[in-house]
Formats: sequence, C-alpha cells, structure tokens
Amino acid sequence: MTDRMVLRADDLGMCFHGPEGEIRLFRNLALNITAGETVAILGASGSGKSTLLGLLAGLDTPSEGRILIGDTDITALDEDQRAILRGRELGFVFQAFHLLSGLTALENVMLPLELAGTSGASETATRALADVGLAERRGHYPRQLSGGEQQRVAIARAFVTGPRLLLADEPTGNLDQTTGGRVSDLLFSRNREAGTTLVLVTHDPLLARRCDRVLQLSDGRLEAA
Amino acid sequence: MKELRYAARLLRRDWKAGELRLLAVSLILAVTAITAVAWLADRVAGGTEGRAAELLGGDRAVIGSEPLPEELIEQARQRDLTLSRTLEFPSVVLFGEQTQLASVKAVESGYPLRGSLLVGGDPDDSARQTREVPRSGEVWVEPRLLLQLDAAPGDTIDLGASRFTIGKMLFLEPDRGGGFQTLSPRLMMNQADVADTGLVQAASRVRYGLLVAGAEEAVAGWSAAIEPLLGDGLRLQRPGQGQAGVGRAIEAAQRFLGLSALLTVVVGGVGMLLTIRRYAARHLDRVAIMRCLGATERQIGLILSWKLFLLGLLTAAVGTLLGFGLHLAMLALVADLLPELPAAGWRPAASGVIAAQTILLGFALPTVLRLRRVPPLRVLRRELGEQVLRGAGIYPLALTAVFLLMWWQAGDLRLAIWVFAAVLGTLLVLGLAAFALVQGLRALRRGRSGIILRLSGLTRRPLTASIQIMALGLGLMALLLLTVVRGDLLATWQDSVPTDAANHFLINIQPDEATAVEQRLREAGIEAEVYPMVRGRLVQINDETVRPDDYPDPQTRRLMAREFNLSQMATLPEDNTVAAGSFWDEDAADPAFSVEVDIAERLGVSVGDTLTFEAGGSRYSATISNLREVRWDSFNVNFFVASSPGVLDDAPATYITSFHLPADQRRLMIELVRAYPSVTVIDIDAILDTVRGIMDQGTRVVELMALLTLFAGIVVLLAALQVTREERRFEGALLRSVGASREQIRRLALGEFLLLGGTAGLLAGLGAAIAGHLMASRLFELDYAFNPWLPLLGAGAGALVVTVAGLLATRGLYRSSPMQLLKGAEEG
Repeated sequence: MTDRMVLRADDLGMCFHGPEGEIRLFRNLALNITAGETVAILGASGSGKSTLLGLLAGLDTPSEGRILIGDTDITALDEDQRAILRGRELGFVFQAFHLLSGLTALENVMLPLELAGTSGASETATRALADVGLAERRGHYPRQLSGGEQQRVAIARAFVTGPRLLLADEPTGNLDQTTGGRVSDLLFSRNREAGTTLVLVTHDPLLARRCDRVLQLSDGRLEAA
Repeated sequence: MKELRYAARLLRRDWKAGELRLLAVSLILAVTAITAVAWLADRVAGGTEGRAAELLGGDRAVIGSEPLPEELIEQARQRDLTLSRTLEFPSVVLFGEQTQLASVKAVESGYPLRGSLLVGGDPDDSARQTREVPRSGEVWVEPRLLLQLDAAPGDTIDLGASRFTIGKMLFLEPDRGGGFQTLSPRLMMNQADVADTGLVQAASRVRYGLLVAGAEEAVAGWSAAIEPLLGDGLRLQRPGQGQAGVGRAIEAAQRFLGLSALLTVVVGGVGMLLTIRRYAARHLDRVAIMRCLGATERQIGLILSWKLFLLGLLTAAVGTLLGFGLHLAMLALVADLLPELPAAGWRPAASGVIAAQTILLGFALPTVLRLRRVPPLRVLRRELGEQVLRGAGIYPLALTAVFLLMWWQAGDLRLAIWVFAAVLGTLLVLGLAAFALVQGLRALRRGRSGIILRLSGLTRRPLTASIQIMALGLGLMALLLLTVVRGDLLATWQDSVPTDAANHFLINIQPDEATAVEQRLREAGIEAEVYPMVRGRLVQINDETVRPDDYPDPQTRRLMAREFNLSQMATLPEDNTVAAGSFWDEDAADPAFSVEVDIAERLGVSVGDTLTFEAGGSRYSATISNLREVRWDSFNVNFFVASSPGVLDDAPATYITSFHLPADQRRLMIELVRAYPSVTVIDIDAILDTVRGIMDQGTRVVELMALLTLFAGIVVLLAALQVTREERRFEGALLRSVGASREQIRRLALGEFLLLGGTAGLLAGLGAAIAGHLMASRLFELDYAFNPWLPLLGAGAGALVVTVAGLLATRGLYRSSPMQLLKGAEEG
C-alpha cells in the first residue's frame, strides 16, 4: 500500500442469516481511497450503503474480505482494538447527530479526546467549536441547540481528534434544505482545511456531486457513477 | 480517573432527567430501614456492653435466694476487697389510699461498687450521678412509682411496719437488669431499716446479693476460694454474665428488627429490577455512541460502575440521615424500657454505605454492565443492541445479595436460611396467587364485562401486574399483621381468660397470719383457699440421687437447678383433674405426692415413683399417688407438686392465695397490707397493663419498619407505572384518536388502579389472616377465629393507597392532544 492510501477494501462481502435463509447484501467489493480524497457512496434505501459504511468504520466485521485503514487490517482486530483505532484515526458525522444529551456542546466535543486520554482536551475542543462558529454556545446542551447547530457540534467533534478519515452517514438527512446546505458547506470546508479524507454515504445526488468521486452501490455492486 | 469524572457528569444528567429517582428512592428506603435498625442496635448494645462491671455493680457478685454465708464476707475482708450487701424483695407501698407493688432494694453505703446511681430531687431538677445511698428513714423511688401513687419527693409512704420520707427520685441504677423484675418500679432503701419494716421473715422471697470489688488478682483469688462454698441457691456472677437474659432479649429484638428491615430491601429490590431494565434500555444509544467514538468495553464498564458507586454513596448519605431520624423516633417510642444510652456512633453510617453498595451490586450492576456489549453499529442500525439486556441471568446475583444481607443482619447462617426461604416462599405464594387472580380477570374480560377489563393493563400486562400486586401485597400484609391481627390475637387471649379469673395474689403470708387472712377475706365475701408454700429442691427419685445434668433437655435442667414450689392440700382444687392414679382421701394417713402431668413427663416419673425433696435442711419423701392436669389460665394458685396433709408440716413455709377482687373492693387490699405488713399483694391487672404497654411500645417500632416496606411497595407500583408510561401514553392517544374522551381514559386508569390495589389488599388480608391463624395455633395455642374483615379491610386500604399513588403518578399523561401524544410516544 502506498503512503497515500488511507482506506482500502479487498473482496469485501456481507451476508445475513434471515428467516428465509442467507441474504447476500454484496460480495467482492473493492475500494481504494487515497489521502485527501472526498468520496460519496450513493445508493437507494436498503442498498446496503449504511452497512458498508459500518464495515469501513470498523463498527462491524465483514463476512468475507478485509479492510485496511492506513496499514492496519481492521478485520483482524478485536472490538476493543477497533474502538481505540476509531478514537485515534476516524471521525464520524451521523444523520441523527448522536450527541450525548447530558453533556454540553463543549463536553460532547471533548468526549473523544478524553476517552483517548489526550491532554488539553478543553482548549482543543474550544478551538474546534470556534472553527464551526459555535464558540458562544459551548455551554449549551443539545436540546438547547437547533438541528443545524447540533450537526455543527457533531462536525466539530468529528474533527477534534485530527482524524485521518472522516465518515459521514447522510449528514444532512435530518435537516431542511437551507440548513442542510450550510452544514454541508461547513463539512466540506473543514475537510479541506484539515486535509482529511472524507467518505460520505447518501441518497442525495446533489450532496454526492460535491465530492471528488461518486460511487454507486446497487445490486451488491459498487461502481463509479 | 477520567471515567470517574464522566460518571459524575452523567449521573448528574440522569438525575436531572429524573431517570434515577425511583431507583434512588428504593435504595434510600432500604438504607433508611437498615441504618435505623443499625443505630438502634448499636446504641442499645453500647448501653449494655462495655459496662459489664457497672452492670454487675461490682467486679464480682454473688446472688441468690439463700442468705449469704459469713465465710464469703470473711474471705473478702482477708483479701482487702471492698464489699456491699444488697437485699431485694417485692413489697406493697402505701400512700394515702393508693397502693402499689414495688421492687424494693435495700443497700449499704458503698453501693454500687462500680458505676453510680442517677438521681434527681424533683421532676424538673436535672439528674446527677451519685455514689451515696438513701439515709436511714429515707427512700429513693423510680419516677413512675411517684406517678402511680400520685406522690412527690418529700411525701411520706408506708412500707411494711415503717414510715419513710421520699428523698430523691431514682432514675437509674447500674445493676438494675431487665426482665420481669423491672415490671414493678424500684424503691431503694437503707439496709439498716429493713428489720423494722418486718418485711423479711424466715421464708420470705428475698434475693440476697453481695458485691465485691478490688485488685484483679485478689478478686480472682476470692472467686476461686468461695465458689465451692456456694450452695445451690447462690451463684457467682462475673462481669458480662449476669445480664445474659436481657442481652439475649435485646439481641433477639435486634435480629427481628434487622430482618424486618430487609423486607424493605426485598420489596425495594423488586422495584429496582423493574426500574434498572428501563434505565439500561434508555442508555443503549449513549453507550453505542461512546463505543463508536473509541471507548473500550473496559472504559464503558468503569464509567457505568463508577456511576452506580456514586449513586450508592449519595443514596446512602440521604438514607443514613433519614435512618438516623427514624432511629431517634423509635428510641422515643421505647425510651422508658431502655437504660441510658451512649451517644450515636458512626458505624451504622458505614453499614448504610455497605448495604447500598451491596444492593446495587446485586440488583443494578449486572443489568447495567450488560450495556458494555452494545454493538457500536447501533449508531447506524437502531434495531441492534436491545438483545443484550434480555435474559434471566441477573436474578441469581440479586438473590445472592439479599441472602448476604440477611446473613449479615441475622448473624446466624441457619436463621438467615430460614428467613430467606420464608420470605421467598411468601413472595412466591403471593406472586402465584396474584397471577392466578389476574388470569381469572383475563377470563372474565371475554364475557360481557365492561371495557375496563378488556382495556385494563391488569389483563393486558399480566406479569407486570402480578409483580406489582406481589410487592404491594407484602407491604400491606406486614402492616395488617402488626395492627389488626395483633389486636385480634390480644383480644382473643383476653377473651380466653375467664372474667372471674383471679386478679390478685397474696404471697409471703406468715404461718401465724394465714388463718386470720383467710378469715378477713371470707368476711369480705371472698372464698379463697390459702395454701402453704415450701421451697424445696428435688434431690432423689426412687432413692437415687438426681442432678440437673442428668437431663439432656435444657428446660428440664433449669427446672431441676431451681427450687420447686411445693404445697400440701387435703382436697383436689376445683380446676385440677386427675389424669392418672387417684387423689387421696381428706383423712388419708399415707404420705403421697400429686404431680402435674407435664412436669411428670419431663422428669420421667409416674404413679408409684418416690420423690425426695430437700427444704430448709431436711428431706421429705413420699410416693406419687396421682398425676394432675392443671388449668393454668384460671390464674388460681397451682402447684407442680403437692403433698397429702402432714408430709411437709415441719418444712419452713409461707402461705399464698389468689382470688378475684371486684374493682369496688380494692380498699380491702389497703386494709390487709396495713394489718399484715409482710404480706405482698400482686395485682395481676396492673402487671398485665404494664406488659401490654411494653408490647404496644415494641410493636410501634416494628410498625414503623412495616410502613417503610409499604412505601417500598408503592415504589414498585410507581416503577411499574414508569415502565409502562410510554405504552400508556401511546394507548391513551390511540384511544382518543378513535373518539374516547379524556374522562373515559381517566376512568379506565382509575378502574385499573382500583382493581390492582384491591387485589393486592385482598391477598394481603388473606395472607395476614392465615399468618395470624398459624401464629395463634402454633405459637400461642389460641383458637383464633378467621377475621372476615381482614381481606375486606386490606382490599379497601390497598385500593385507596394504589389509586391515590397511581393517579398522582399518571396525572398529566392524558391531558395533551392525541397528536402530541403520538409524537411524544415515538420519541419516548
């Protein structure tokens, strides 16, 4: 693998055992993503794109094949080892924001730093909040923030550890068009500034088109759109 | 430590969101119950332990029913020991028209050799400690004797043939002890005045005491020297020994209270199991996000454990404070039964912390730790992760925690196992009965019965409903047992005593007074048989020497170690029947004994055996000619062993009689006491009043514990309501959207609560009635009629409590519009 390779999947396959036998979502998927690239994975509901994202993020293990993040084969790691790797190398942005309701905006951003035991978490997180324009709202709890603001906090949290790879699952799916547009602007600009690699899963072709590369997942195959 | 910081932060958040309230209340109730008992036990034990020498009044004591041999005193003087003699006997005090039985103690200067007396001059005067004793011509009395006589310090009272001034009030004497002697109030006098009163005669019932104190070696030497000299009627007491009876009673009371405190833990635990599951379910997402952001299983486990630990500390703090208050309330209820108590220590607070952590460890931690296994993928697929909370694996730990707490409180493995089994059994029976009732209701709803049954959560959530009924039922049952059933049992017992049963005993009647006393009673219209009473020890059966150690049964051993009260009688008393052999003729010449059947069985003797008793240095033998059955509840004078006339003529005797004295003839007793000062009048009614008073005080303490259990039961109800809250909200909205009015939905809830509480109360009433019946027949040998009001009363009380609590808990749930409700339910 070259130095510029950030994420690579070889012969990836995933199947489930349902009541009517085995359901094969996809097989023999291959994916190479280089540093700084932005890649969109486009697919209809139920196409398996979220499953694919989960596999790439090490949240789940594939039925077959392997996934490398940098030089590490995450399919060979156990769940705790993958968790540590996620905390160090990956950032996440979810459709449902997934902020912890009992923590303030600042505390939410600090969470991955503190879990990893990084010093100066508060200062780093404050800067990350300022980067998304929410320095003033650092003391607010999620329920005191609008949907767009919550997603901006989530973006700050995703970037705060300086991850190599950012994974986003329908980041604007829960937002209205205007807010969604602003949030995706922010996501792309922060990504550019930080030089992070972005993998985005969406069913929204407009959002997908903002990426360098768009891949379509349908009928278990991943192809350039 | 970052995990601890997070735990604290998340705990604060959970608390604000109200997610932990019921869990915390369950825990607080449990800790309150346990610490209140711990404090009570700690202080009462502290009041008796560690002051062993004071409680004896000296370094050693010789106590018994025989006069002290001069040798004992000689030996003590030779060893330079200080000594003090005491005499204790019951006697009647006269003040104007009032009489009262008092427990008299005559002391010499120097008493007590260890510890001090607590005295005061008048009711408002503060008490002070003193090493003095009453001067000649003066008595010190317990305040309640003053109350009973309506007298005050400075008044003069009559005691036997002498008159005394009441000098001081006696609040406390170190070696007072407890038990039956404390039933009559203390009067303390100077020993120099005893002879003039004429109260102590040759065969009077007197407890002689000798206290010694001094250098440890000398005391030990004296003990070794005099122990062989002691006859059967005297025994040597070392510190910590004499109070064994009281100690045992206090220990038993503590265990009982400790175990009843655990009833609150068990019921509270049921509430916790219900709450913690919902609490954990609400944390699935949070844990999944943290896993996703890089938290390891270990980190999650640590955060969750810390959180529970902190919760345990907080609830222990609150529960301990409440427990401290509760123990003060309990102490106030039994204040006059207890000696002066030491200040409260910190140890019970520690027991609160230990209890809270143990309960959390057993009831909450296993469920919460399962959250570690939530897959991080849940952030993308919400249906994942629910299954980690399923399974019954959490119950064994909960049961283990309860058992460990029981063992700790009982301090005895066997007792703990028994109580554990009994509580589990009761819960199981209550649970099964509840389930059967709920199933019955389910069957009913298929009929034409109303919509309430069809829609009620009672029939649609049968398992939750059964658990609620079981927990509430246990609390209500404990309360009913302590109030209604206790009252019933007392009333049954009182009814079993005939109204004309003897209510007065005259004892210590001297031989030369017997005929005159009998005559005086007859003049007053009272027919009472006056019997001689000889105190003798059984020394031989069929000419073979017998000793207490010959009998394996401890009760028989104690019986043999004491002196029997023997009498002689010409005719069979009215309430006695011959069970074997035949009673002697009035003028029979052959010496014979008649023995009560139960005692005969204990001693292993029967008709034809020869018994030899020793009394006043002589031996008296006769053959058993018959066995008698005695009706003890007649309260008449009765004897285990009686002889035919003539057998005991030469033995030292006092006379005794009993009779029923109508209330309007009480003056007769004053006359009798004035005429015959050495005669002791025992008023059974007064003693029964005192016993009843002590029982009432004791049960009020236990009632407080039962109330805590009921509160815990209400928490279970609230927990179950909370668990089904979203479901109810959604159902309510659904019903409203199809046209049900708010009022109809409210009525539906009302019906459900009435049914739930009524069922729990009905079962509790039935359970209490059955338990009462078992206690009556097994423990007290009473015929306790089933009280049909108990189930009804239980059902009424249960319905009321549950309806009020339930309506309060669900208020506002059905107020908003159906649309909002549906939205809320989805977000739930």
